[in-house]
Amino acid sequence: MLRDEFERRRRSNPRYSLRAFALLLGIDSATLSQVLRGRRRLSPRATAALCDRLALPQPQRDAVICEALRAGHERRILRQVGRDGFTASSRALARRLRLRTDEINAALVRLLRERKLRMLSPARWVALAPEQR
Amino acid sequence: MEARPVVHWQALVRDPDRAASFYAACFGWNADDRNALGYRAIGAAGDGIGGGLWPLSDGSPMVQLFVAVPDVDAALATAQTNGAQVVIPKQVLPDGDEMAVILDPEGIAWGLMLARG
Repeated sequence: MLRDEFERRRRSNPRYSLRAFALLLGIDSATLSQVLRGRRRLSPRATAALCDRLALPQPQRDAVICEALRAGHERRILRQVGRDGFTASSRALARRLRLRTDEINAALVRLLRERKLRMLSPARWVALAPEQR
Repeated sequence: MEARPVVHWQALVRDPDRAASFYAACFGWNADDRNALGYRAIGAAGDGIGGGLWPLSDGSPMVQLFVAVPDVDAALATAQTNGAQVVIPKQVLPDGDEMAVILDPEGIAWGLMLARG
């Protein structure tokens, strides 16, 4: 979303700089640069604040925040999968992460579809690195 | 090739609790989610097949059908050879069942499953 918005602004004004965009968003330009390059992720709360700064229309704002929340769920699930004592169970994940089982299951489908997770056996799930997908 | 049966349906829904209530009231289908995935399984009624409810991750609500296959890897390979895309590669579920999802050349998503549980 941020990258699209930055590109849109640059198309309408080729002199529009990263620094100007960072100023508008209220974050430092180094952080913004990392976010735009995918090196750093924003929390859902920070995403909501940026949506407000950009005055995004409500439907778009909701979609962006929803996506940030879902991406956060996915990251938390993948972190759990890699831990010792992990139980291959949506219910167990929901308890551990304090999410609803439905939130876990919706995230699982996305992770499976994007080849970020593999259910190898009834008891063994693995998080796949980018080169394994 | 031997004809493969459709053995399971799955409704991908925005609000599984609401859907479960609706189906119970309208069709007498009672979901049982006492399993590791919290899958709302709905047993077969009469001569019909069983199914289940799963929360929609994105896109539009839909019903997906699952075809029983004797070998999920082989079925995936055959499907790909014949123009299908693999949406979800083979997974082994906590109950031991194996499943995968393909998109056929018409754009229809089908589940493939091998029940072991």
